[in-house]
Amino acid sequence: MGKPKAKVDTKECLACGGCISVCPQDAISWYANKALVDEKGCISCAICIRTCPVGAISGDGAL
Amino acid sequence: MKYDVIVVGSGPAGSVTARFAAEAGAKVLIVERRQEIGTPVLCGEGISRKIDDWDMLEGTRWIAGRMEGARIYSPNGTMVKLSADMAGNETGYVIYRDIFDQELARRAAKAGVKIMMNAQAIGLLKDEGKIKGVKINHFDEERDIEADVIIGADGVESKVGKWADIDTTLKPKDLETCAQYTLTNVDCKDAYCDFYLGKKIAPGGYIWVFPKGKDVANVGIGILASLSEAGMAKKLLDEFIAKDSRFAHAEPVRFLAGAVPVANPIETVRDNLILVGDAARHVDPITGGGLTHCLEIGKIAGEVVGKAVQTQDFSQDFLMEYEMRWKEVIGKKMKRNYRVKETLLDMDDKTFNMLADSLKDYKFEELSTLSLIKALVLKHPTLLMKLRPLMKISE
Repeated sequence: MGKPKAKVDTKECLACGGCISVCPQDAISWYANKALVDEKGCISCAICIRTCPVGAISGDGAL
Repeated sequence: MKYDVIVVGSGPAGSVTARFAAEAGAKVLIVERRQEIGTPVLCGEGISRKIDDWDMLEGTRWIAGRMEGARIYSPNGTMVKLSADMAGNETGYVIYRDIFDQELARRAAKAGVKIMMNAQAIGLLKDEGKIKGVKINHFDEERDIEADVIIGADGVESKVGKWADIDTTLKPKDLETCAQYTLTNVDCKDAYCDFYLGKKIAPGGYIWVFPKGKDVANVGIGILASLSEAGMAKKLLDEFIAKDSRFAHAEPVRFLAGAVPVANPIETVRDNLILVGDAARHVDPITGGGLTHCLEIGKIAGEVVGKAVQTQDFSQDFLMEYEMRWKEVIGKKMKRNYRVKETLLDMDDKTFNMLADSLKDYKFEELSTLSLIKALVLKHPTLLMKLRPLMKISE
């Protein structure tokens, strides 16, 4: 059992790109001008969750 | 259709690079993932007036207000003032970044640059390792576009660098995570830009209030990502606004987020590829300011790429002139200010209060972070021992 993956709430995301810039796995990219986490690449480090200035990323993604 | 140059991203660095490459005769295409250049704005919108002499912007539509000076407040409210008269009127503007970006794009278009919107770069075209162009997603359709040189102007979140094996991943301690309201019905008492420091106010960063005329202001916060928790930037900003009487009757007309690299310089050149702007981390690590760098260095990038097209030499060796030249402009300043950033991060609120107290009646020669640091080193030679060697490095 792994930890839950990071997930972006696209309604909250303001597309600043901060999460993409700090992801150590390069697992976040633009999709329709919002940040999208690639679940296969995510290692549940939570760096993106702590970085998001508006709290749009949570650890609610797939296990 | 093959281009000489593809610029990924239509921010200031991308548009200025594109313009000067086109003016040197190159066939240039900008690909932009968004559907409107300059939107959403991701910026505090302050810029130095030194751009006046650079022939970058025409007219005044992009100017929201003129700054009279700056005030810096320490955690206990001690104020250090840098005013326009002591600075020889060399201050700055608060701008409309969306119009600013579109004006720079217009100059690029006038030089013959083509612009493709809704076009997101998703990879580089390579032939046996050699960069041949860009793969884009244009209205959900994948397309390959060939070019001899690719300009990564794709912002703090740059992927272009990574695709060319330049490690652009930022450490959380090298990123400011930001939020900003544009508030209306504000009681702006004057045209000073205010900065608020303190571990509780904005850990590893600051809060800013930039007036745009007499009753509108950008009120924003940047905190260091390594000191941040989920949503903390917005929460601290909301708390600051709730306590300040200037905003008692204010209402938001815009809310935005931002991310600013405050890092050491990185490699910016490969065969057939260069990085500019935030993608190249060309941001002052103390202030988080990068707009003037985008214009000044974008011009250099465009000139070098233009020469590469004229000589048909797209090697890393040839394009290295760009890196040599941007280092002449900001290399020393970036290194020095990164060290200053680390020194400031080690200081507690009490030390900031003491430093502010010692500078509250100081007459500054100019309105710049360098003059502030020089004054601090002069007043506190032992405390700032680590910074003394750096002061021999001039701007």
